[in-house]
Formats: sequence, C-alpha cells, structure tokens
Amino acid sequence: MNKIFFLFVFLFLISCSDNNKNYQSKNYEGKYEKHYGGTLKNAMVGEPNNLIAMIAGDSASSAIAGKIFNTLLTYDENLNLTGEVAKSWKLSSDKKTITFYLNTKMHWADSVPLTCKDIFFTWKVVTNPETRTPYASDYQLVKKAECKDDHTFIITYQEPYAPALDTWATLHILPKHKLEHEDINNTFFSRNPTGSSFYKLKEWVPGQYLSLETNENSILGKPFISKMISRIIPDLSSQFMELSAENLDFMSINPIQYKRIFPERKDLNNNYELNKELGNGYTYFGFNLQKKPFNNINIRKAIDLAINKQEIIDGVLLGLGFEITSPYKPETFWYNSNISKTNFNPDEAKRLIESEGFKLNEKNIYSRNGELLKFEILTNQNKQREMTAVLIQRRLKEIGVDVSIRVLEWASFINQYIKTGDFESVVLGWSLSLDPDQFNIWHSTQNGPGQFNFINFNNKRVDKLLERGRKELDIKKRKQIYDEFSEIIYEEKPVIFLYAGYGLNAIHKRIKGIKNPPPPAGTFHFMEKNWYIPSKFIRNEIN
Amino acid sequence: MLIYLLKRIMWMVPMLIGISLISFFIMHLAPGDITSNEAAFNPKASEESRQKLRELYNLDKPIAIQYGLWLKRIIKLDFGESFASHHRPVLWEKKDQNGNVVPGMIQKALPITLLINVITLLIIFLISILLGTTAAVFKNKIPDRLITFSVFLGFAIPGFWLALMLIYWLGVNEQILPISGLHSLDYENLSSIGKFIDLIKHLFLPVLTSCLSGLAGISLFVRNGMLEVLNKDFINTARAKGVNEKKVIYYHSLRNAILPLITIVGLSIPGLIGGSVIAESIFAIPGMGKLFYDAVLMRDFPVVMGILTIGSFLTLFGNLIADISYALADPRVRKGLM
Repeated sequence: MNKIFFLFVFLFLISCSDNNKNYQSKNYEGKYEKHYGGTLKNAMVGEPNNLIAMIAGDSASSAIAGKIFNTLLTYDENLNLTGEVAKSWKLSSDKKTITFYLNTKMHWADSVPLTCKDIFFTWKVVTNPETRTPYASDYQLVKKAECKDDHTFIITYQEPYAPALDTWATLHILPKHKLEHEDINNTFFSRNPTGSSFYKLKEWVPGQYLSLETNENSILGKPFISKMISRIIPDLSSQFMELSAENLDFMSINPIQYKRIFPERKDLNNNYELNKELGNGYTYFGFNLQKKPFNNINIRKAIDLAINKQEIIDGVLLGLGFEITSPYKPETFWYNSNISKTNFNPDEAKRLIESEGFKLNEKNIYSRNGELLKFEILTNQNKQREMTAVLIQRRLKEIGVDVSIRVLEWASFINQYIKTGDFESVVLGWSLSLDPDQFNIWHSTQNGPGQFNFINFNNKRVDKLLERGRKELDIKKRKQIYDEFSEIIYEEKPVIFLYAGYGLNAIHKRIKGIKNPPPPAGTFHFMEKNWYIPSKFIRNEIN
Repeated sequence: MLIYLLKRIMWMVPMLIGISLISFFIMHLAPGDITSNEAAFNPKASEESRQKLRELYNLDKPIAIQYGLWLKRIIKLDFGESFASHHRPVLWEKKDQNGNVVPGMIQKALPITLLINVITLLIIFLISILLGTTAAVFKNKIPDRLITFSVFLGFAIPGFWLALMLIYWLGVNEQILPISGLHSLDYENLSSIGKFIDLIKHLFLPVLTSCLSGLAGISLFVRNGMLEVLNKDFINTARAKGVNEKKVIYYHSLRNAILPLITIVGLSIPGLIGGSVIAESIFAIPGMGKLFYDAVLMRDFPVVMGILTIGSFLTLFGNLIADISYALADPRVRKGLM
C-alpha cells in the first residue's frame, strides 16, 4: 500500500498531537542477570505457508521453521561455517567426498533419537522428483549418500563442488520416524512439525498468530526466552502502531522511521533501542546487453559516471546505505575491498559518449546517424526502486540521455519482460548469499528463459572463473578467483551497483543480551543463545 | 409464481458456467503462475524444478483442458486445494488418515467477513433510515444540511487514513481499544462474557470506519424516497384526516419510502462476502478481501476461482431473494408475477 503517504500521515500526527502527555518513562538501563522465561512478541506481514522449509517458498515460513529445525552445519556470528547437527566434517583427498561426524545423544522434541538415518532420509526427500521443492538441484549433485553408522554421514559428489558445505547449512533436517509413511507434499506435519531446535510449535491460529514454546530436548540447549508469539499483521503502519503501544518487542523499520520518527518521539526512544546491520541484498541498474546502446562498453561506463550514487543513497535511504563495488556483503571475507569506486563525473561521461560519435541534437539528446540515445527503465512496484529510477532518469537527462520509466506488478514484470528478454534496462536487486558462487547469475550458459543471467552477460574469462570457483575448495585460492571475478564485473559494467541498504531494527529495551553493533551475521543470529528478559521486565504472562 | 421461480433458478446454471468460464480465462490471461512467483528470484531454485512443479499442478496443459478439469471437480462441489498455502483446502476443512484437521481457507475467512459486514450493514441501515427521514422532514433546513454535509464528509474521507487516525488516537495514545487483530492473545482464557467484550472491542474500529463511508448512499436514498412519498396525495389525505404527524411520517410515509431498500439489501448480499483489502490489512483481520487479493497476486488459481464462484452464486442468489422479497412486501409487484 501507499507507504509514503502513511508516513506523511505519521509526520502530520507527530507535529499536531502531544503524544507524550500520558507517558511515564520506565527505566530499562542497568545490568541484569541472565534469566530463563518471558515471552517475545513480534509481527510478520504474511502467514507461513508450510513449516517444511524446502517446500515453502516464502520468508515467513523459513523464519518460523528456522526456530524449529536444525541444519547439519551453520554459520557462526562471523560467518564462518561451523557444526550444528554435525560436530565436525572431513574432506577426502580427491575433494569429492565429505564425511560428517554427528553429535551424539541428540533427540527430537518427542524424545526419539536423532541419528544419521534422519539426515539420509532428508536427502532422499529433497532429491525425490515427486517432492514439490524448487531447491533440489544442489542436492541432486550428490552421487551417493550413506550412513556408515548412526553418527557418520558420508556424501560423494560427481566432481568437487565448493558450495557443497553451504548447501548443508540451509537444509532443515526432518524426522524420519514422523514422515517416512507420509506424502511430504501433503502432510499434516507441515502444520504441526516435530523439530529438534530451540522451540516447538505450540499453537497456530490461522490468519492471527503462531506461538512457539521451549523445546526441552533442543539439541543446542534451552533458549533463555521461553516463548515467542509471531502475530500476522499485513500492514506495516499497523505494525508500527503496535510497536508504539509496546505490543511488539521488535520490528524491522524503514529509513524514515529510523531517522525522522524515532528521534522525535520520547516514548519510542525510551522503550526501544535502534540498531543497524549490513543488509542482505543490493540494488543495481542492469542492462540488456544484447540491445543497443548497451552492447557498447563506453556507453555503459558513461552511464555509470553520470549517476550520482551517493545522491541516491541520501535520497532513497536517507543515507542509510553504502556504495558497493563487488556483489558481496561489504566488510566480509568475499568482498573485494581493493576495487576503487568510480566517482560521479558527468563531464567525463559526455566525453565518452562523444568519443563513440554521438552528438547532441536540437533537443539536447545525443544522437548518431539518427540513432537516439534513448531507453526505458523497467522496475517493479517498490517505492525505493521507483525513486531510484527517477533519480537516474534525472541525472541521465542532464547529460543528454532520454530515459523513460515503467513500473510493473511483479508477476507481469517477471513473465512478460524479464523471461522474454523484452526489456532495455532494469532497476532490481539481488540478495547476497554467504557462499561466493554466483554461477547462476553471471555464467553465459545461464541466459535461457527463466534463468538468472537475463541481462545476457557473456565473458569468457568470467565463465572460466565461475567454473573454477565452484570446484576450488582451498579457501585462499577461491578468494583469488572471486576477487578477479569482482574486478572484471566492475570493469565491464554489465550492471551498475547502486547501493546496499542497512537492515534497521527497533528492539525493546527490556530485552538484554543483544549485541549492538550487530556481528556480521546480523542482529538476530542465534538470538536464542544470547537474548534474555530480566525477571523484573517480564510482563503478565499468557499461558 | 412457482414457475417463475423455477425458471429463474434454471437460468442460474448457464449464467454460473458463463461467469466461471470468463473468470477462468481472464485469470489465466494474466502473466505468470504460482511457480514463477514462489522463489522467483532465488538463484537456488532452478528452472527445471519449476517446470516440474508446473506439471504437478497441471499448469502445463492447454487452458481448455485445465478448465475442463476444474469444472469436473466443481460439479462435485470439490473446490480443490490452494497452491500457495500448501494444500489447504479452498472451501472446507479436511481430515487426514490420523484425524488431523486442516482448516479450509474460505471456511475460516468467510464467517469473519460476514460478521463484520452484517453488523456494518445493519448499523448503516438503521442510522441511514433515521438520518434520511430526519433530513426529509426538515428539508432544506439546518438539520437537513447538517446531515447531508456529515454523511458526505464520512464518504469523502479515505477509509485507511481515518482508520490509522482512530487507531493512533484510541489505540496508541488513549490505549482504550486494541490496535489490530481479531482477538487478544489471551482470548482463550477469557470467560464467555470476556470473549464477547474482547470481540466487540476488536471489531469497533473496523465496523466504525466501514459504516462511515456507507452512510451517504443509503441515507440520501431514504431522504429522496421520503420526499417523494411526502408529496403524494395520500399523505395529504392522511394529514387532512387529522392523523398525527408522527404517524404520518413513521407509518404512512416511511413504509413506502423504504420499499426500494429491499432491492439494495439483495444487491448487498454479494458485497457481504467480499471484504475490504485495505481495512483488513490495517486491522490485521484475516477476512475474504485479503484472502482474494493475496491469491490473485500469487496466481493461486484454485482459491481465486473458488471465491469467484461462490461470489457469483451469491450475487445471482441475492438478486433472486431481492425479487422474491419485493414481491412479498409489495402487493403491486406480486400481482404482476402471478
């Protein structure tokens, strides 16, 4: 819905009402002992589809399922791989076989032991062609899987596959004893799961909320906060109202709330702590490289020089973002920090365009033998992307490039334009995965309909690097490969990296144990192990 | 009369098929399907897997065959299962072999929407008749002007804006009403009176905001109807006979003036099952509007078709009921049908 308008309404409200009049401030400062108990409340915009994450496609499902199920491996707070169900792993000398050594004495929430059989079963399920999952391909690369004993899981790949370990950090392990006689696509288990992680599902009231309670058998130990309630509130303005009334303990907020509303409101400031963390994605301006004028690298470079990225960050994100030069999370291992960014320079941009034989016509648009420098930017209904496109349009107009903008509904955007290649340029985003492999996005073979290299990037060297990167398991050599890959992408400019925004959160001050500033893995990483509510701040409990 | 009724009911069948045919084709004309929306931009989800899903959902078949399959199921009143909310039955709950119950989507959403809309409609009619009559009696005087102005104001204020204002005032600042949701989180532990009060508190703002926008139409309808009747000869006769003014207005005029409202009630029946997407989103009420809207965005065809079919059935049914009750209420119409 029209969020910007809602925000104006908010600003109006703030200016005309004395909202602090009834407010009695409560002091949440000070040191408190760690304490078990309490209920954490939050909200989500959509209802989960299915608590079996490999079948669900939505983020609400993964968020809840992630609290109930474990993975074989996980990332620590500095984003290094570490064990979860597995305590360690070993790579064979030919790099094709991985042996996972599992923790012993693990149990499901219903006290049945969790063993290698469950992991083997999960792999069988995800690779079964009957299973309705879009995520099968990574696991189908496993040629052979076996359980040597109850606590040793061995998998063998056709050839070395570097992202392998990462794939085992996202696959939720399912209980064989509950599911072996069930149709995975159509089982009540997806609404009433049995897991092994910190929480178990207590209640699911359709359309209203899901509540979780402590799983006493959790293989990672008990969480400090014993209950979680996730309410379903589709409208973000209403969520913010609930936050204002202290009915939610945390919420992810937008730049306007972070920068303008919180500083104005004494009550919010007293009750909530703000923090910002590295976001999980970036926004880019991408070209259809098969079409004129984008098949010309000088034109792409000129467009890059003519766009003022800092202006976009200031205008769209109120400064709460940063420019990136490679498609990885900044300040993390895979990010190439040696690439220096190009600076805003419209004069140089004009010179580059003119070096290709273009001249300004009477309408101040560049043309060459009747070919006008003119194109359309396509984007989906996303306020930030729309605003970004407008800022790009303005800057390009200043140097003599005529740009129009078209905004589309998501499904039409994907199916009629992206899949068919019927677009000139797009403002879009990619999320950033933790493994550096980006074969699906940049390799020249991945440009078919429905595949992700829809911009038709085709570079022999990058193809080689991406192929090598997938097979290289030595982390130092792998880093070199992806550093070179990042350099070529930044030099060739198949897309222009615009910004990576911060993730912004407001968290109630009654909750302690939160790391601020957040670690690279984010504010909510292993919150079960860190967050607690001091007994003094536990409110009337709901049983 | 009976023959007329039978004829009308027989006519509903081809009409329903026609409506479903058109809706089905329009829905499938929209670009994309469920497989392109779920995990659409996740590089880990491959195109082959998506093609496989398309086959599992029969989405790869020609559209005429898909329609045939749908029609075959719907004749047995099987509305199918949702694509997006994995296998939740569209219409009614189902039990698996272990006796676990999966609730139906329309089954859960419809009572909520119906409850809100019926209350809203009742309040709108009650207040509108009162306001309309008053306005007609005081035609062009201050009460009339005031009423017309206020109902139009209610009509003109954007509902979502008003809703947010009221939430902010009564929910956040004064904290006397809940902000969103249908029940409090401790609803299960309340006594039955407590549950009732809790529900009233949660429904107060949603009902209030939808009432305000509905008052204008009906109250002006009543006002104009009343004015017309008040100028009729039989009213003059009544007055001339010395019937007291109250009886003239509430007995002789009003009964005649609200007759056409029956048609409006009939036409409101399909509206009763359609919720407002905006109000339901703001107040976090899991009703029909949001269900339909999300299903369209996700291209969740079984849910969309289920709601459209039930909606069109109720529209036709509503028209029929309106005609019949009109006949029952008005002897002049009844005669015409005989």
